[in-house]
Amino acid sequence: MQGYDDIGEKLKNKFPEAIVYLQPTCDAFPTFWIDKNYIVPVLGFVKNEPGLEFKFLYDLSAIDEQARKNRACQPQSNFTVFYQLLSFSRNQFLRLKVALNGDRPSIPTATTVWPMANWYEREVYDMFGIQFDGHPHLTRILMPRSWKGHPLQKCHPARATEMGKFQLPEDKMLAEQELYQFKPEEWGLTSQSGSNEEFMFLNLGPQHPGTHGILRLVLQMDGEDIVNVVPDIGFHHRGAEKMGERQSWHTFIPYTDRVEYLSGVMNNFPYVMAVEKMGGIKIPDRAEVIRIMLCELFRISSHLVWYGTFAQDLGMMTPVFLLFYDRERLFTIIEAICGDRMHPNWFRIGGVAQDLPKGWDTLVRDFIKYMRPRLKEYDKMIMKNRIFKARTVGIGVYNTEEAIEWGVTGAGLRATGFDWDFRKRQPYSLYDQFEFEIPVGVNGDCYERALLRAEEIRQSLRIIEQCVNNMPEGPYKSDNPLTTPADKKHTMYDIETLINHFVNVTWGPVIPAGEGYCGVESSKGHNGYYLVSDGSTMSYRTRIRTPSFPHIQFVPQYSKGYTIADLMSILGAVDFVLSDIDR
Amino acid sequence: MKWWTTQANDPVSAMKGTGSMEEAVQQSVVLTTMESMINWGRKNSVWPFNFGLSCCYVEMATSITSKYDVSRFGAEVIRGTPREADMMVVAGTVFIKMAPIIRKLYEQMMAPRWIIAMGACASSGGMYDIYSVVQGVDKFMPVDVYVPGCPPRPDAFLEGIVLLRDKVGKEKRPLSWVIGPQGIIRPDMPSMRDMKRDERKKMTEIRPPDEV
Repeated sequence: MQGYDDIGEKLKNKFPEAIVYLQPTCDAFPTFWIDKNYIVPVLGFVKNEPGLEFKFLYDLSAIDEQARKNRACQPQSNFTVFYQLLSFSRNQFLRLKVALNGDRPSIPTATTVWPMANWYEREVYDMFGIQFDGHPHLTRILMPRSWKGHPLQKCHPARATEMGKFQLPEDKMLAEQELYQFKPEEWGLTSQSGSNEEFMFLNLGPQHPGTHGILRLVLQMDGEDIVNVVPDIGFHHRGAEKMGERQSWHTFIPYTDRVEYLSGVMNNFPYVMAVEKMGGIKIPDRAEVIRIMLCELFRISSHLVWYGTFAQDLGMMTPVFLLFYDRERLFTIIEAICGDRMHPNWFRIGGVAQDLPKGWDTLVRDFIKYMRPRLKEYDKMIMKNRIFKARTVGIGVYNTEEAIEWGVTGAGLRATGFDWDFRKRQPYSLYDQFEFEIPVGVNGDCYERALLRAEEIRQSLRIIEQCVNNMPEGPYKSDNPLTTPADKKHTMYDIETLINHFVNVTWGPVIPAGEGYCGVESSKGHNGYYLVSDGSTMSYRTRIRTPSFPHIQFVPQYSKGYTIADLMSILGAVDFVLSDIDR
Repeated sequence: MKWWTTQANDPVSAMKGTGSMEEAVQQSVVLTTMESMINWGRKNSVWPFNFGLSCCYVEMATSITSKYDVSRFGAEVIRGTPREADMMVVAGTVFIKMAPIIRKLYEQMMAPRWIIAMGACASSGGMYDIYSVVQGVDKFMPVDVYVPGCPPRPDAFLEGIVLLRDKVGKEKRPLSWVIGPQGIIRPDMPSMRDMKRDERKKMTEIRPPDEV
């Protein structure tokens, strides 16, 4: 890894007035404050300049700064828009921030540099009310069109119970339905195809068995062929980011479980790691290995659900029963260790909730022994099936450049032949000490995306086996006072520990003011948490970067020209979860 | 009507009989009331609507698969359209953006129709007292059975189905609206918490979590 000094220098040489501040953060990468008027040229520069090549727009969101107290090394602003970029050649992240002031804050759009900024900017507009000048279609994306206000502004109420009783009288329902009416002109689509032929607009979802949840797609059809796809999301918006601003650091953990509900504790992982980074908390090795083992178990669980439902999308009925049965076997382990099935909420800041129960290793070993031959069976049954192949090989093809341009991570990126897994490239926790391989594809079609996930199950089993064989002894939780209440026996003699115990249990710990980011390679792609602490018992801003959001934005780009049946294959191969799109 | 069930391991014994008219009638004629026959038919074939909102839907789908097998209760024939379904399981969080659509789907179902609110979110909003979530689906449509849990285990969902079956089986239809009240008389569903309290109070030993 190189240093960061050259980035600042290059920027200063090129744009002498652009950099306003350099802000230190808890992350290992710098945050530059850029003048609003320079942001688009600067983004273009860091993206294309040889030696920098921050080709990947990892995240784009905003912070409402109006209630924030601790702002050392930062310019004054009402709102801050931030861009988190990733350079594959340098293997580095970079964060750029822009300060916005005034009643109606606005900023030039970044869609001219990255077309994928489109949805991110719409989200910022929806959540914060920030205008993006020159944006091609700046409308609400997550909230209903009839919504008043911008939920992530500090003045917007968080609780539904603060907003009056929900009612749905007939006229309101009809009015809402009217707003869902698809008008092609609004999206820049024409309904006339040739001289006297018309396109058909087909509404798919939000209630449709093929969309794996409440996703709505409007298809512009020319006969059997898809001309364009317009995804409409936000039906699953659960306000997880706003929730982070009202829960204490500890009590937000259960909400992270539900952000991507198939991967359970894997969602806890980036969150607790980000908090640990900000609090300077060291965690014991045993906790690290337990975390890795559970994450990999959940990766398998998530892939099993995907494997079964994907096969079912393509018309196979049997696999889903077999794979769900295997998932049940896996859940016996999860239940024995965590006590719950889908949302164990089992990671804690500074470790895990409890030590492993007696006899856990036999359970895990049995499962590994059971699962390996089953995977061979599934290869024969699913991956080598002629119909399955006919419906996936050569369908939904995109290359590495397109994938990077549109923010694709995970198996979707690796299937294009680009070997990028964060567990290997930027190893977090103890992943650098495990032996496993990253399967990489060649063609980047639906079949390869499926193949890679099937192979990832094997690699996860390998990691789990190493965890069982090398589980370190020792504590399962850090003894840092921020994470663990003081030992009960001391509280009986020492008023200081008693007070600390009381404060930590009732209010929760205070994480020092600052900003921190952490991400993990989850089962769907790259999942990251960017936290801002204002030195209180709650997070000031919790930004959750989820992989499925850009993945669904990308779908229209590579599904044109296919039929609806192919679209089912494409959607299945994306492997998305609705809560991961809308949060 | 004479009928019997056999266990899997029972020896196959030949049916013995006299071959009389009386016996033939006994074997093939059922005498019952119209009401209980309809209820019997309905409660054993509650077809669910393939509808899911979030996490709970995965557990609902799990209940269809082999380990839990909801077809034991006659509720495995999943329908893709509300017009063919008898039961809608609101499995997951009820979002404000989704509420008009859920209501529309409910209205498209033909009577008799039943609703199960699966999970804490659908029952009351659960963990999500947040701006974009309706605090329980019963704010805008009727609910027959509430299944608690976040998400409920498939077993809990199955218990919800069993409760719904009981309810469907006990529905009464008045002879005519001239004589009795209009519409179907639905039985009162007592709170399971109250019904099971005594049994639960007897539990004195809880398995420690540090053993498998």
